[in-house]
Amino acid sequence: MKKNTFYLLCGCIAVILLAIFWYSVEIHRPFFVEITFIIGIAVAYLARRRVTDLIDDERSAKITEQAVLRTFQVFLVVVCAFSVGAVMKILYVPQFPKDVDLSHAPEGFTPKMMGYFQLGLLCLMIFLYVGFRIYYARKYGDWETDEE
Amino acid sequence: MPENMGIGRPMKNKIKVFRAMYDMTQEDLAQAIGVTRQTILAIEKGKYVPSLDLAFRISQFFKVNIEEVFTYDSETKTVDDR
Repeated sequence: MKKNTFYLLCGCIAVILLAIFWYSVEIHRPFFVEITFIIGIAVAYLARRRVTDLIDDERSAKITEQAVLRTFQVFLVVVCAFSVGAVMKILYVPQFPKDVDLSHAPEGFTPKMMGYFQLGLLCLMIFLYVGFRIYYARKYGDWETDEE
Repeated sequence: MPENMGIGRPMKNKIKVFRAMYDMTQEDLAQAIGVTRQTILAIEKGKYVPSLDLAFRISQFFKVNIEEVFTYDSETKTVDDR
């Protein structure tokens, strides 16, 4: 399989997954999109192994490694800081909770909102990863031009 | 390998010279040793220091010792400096 065919296939998988996601929302069956997501990733993985003109060498592996490492470092700090703050707010800290009832969270901030915020942070992580990847690829010689 | 991939370290190489000797392009060399052209370019420009494995593959490809392709100029202590 050619590299461009693989990218096209990935695009198709993404579109199909998006369509199935909204279909799942409509029929209220999250299990449906969960299974499809796993199948989609498996198909992409198997297709990736069949690509013949895509070389993954040690430099590209190192770039990926660095980008992932930096992303997780930033993400971990942000998520932990946010989660600790959110949990404190939900548990009415500094007052020690006598009877924790999560259904009556403080006004304006609910445990559900915490989940949404964490989901948002997860999405931000993808952008962060892409940013770091571009940064390291540029730093370690991608897009360089040279005479032969 | 250090986090900075060896950038700024006194590692130099003569890949470009050897390529010229054998009249090879970066693409030719990259294909021969199984890496991308960008990797060869990055090594030549000193933006990436290859692993020992890759360094040996490059030097063996040109049928020379690794020291003839890669040089490491530093003032690192030797056993005699103890």
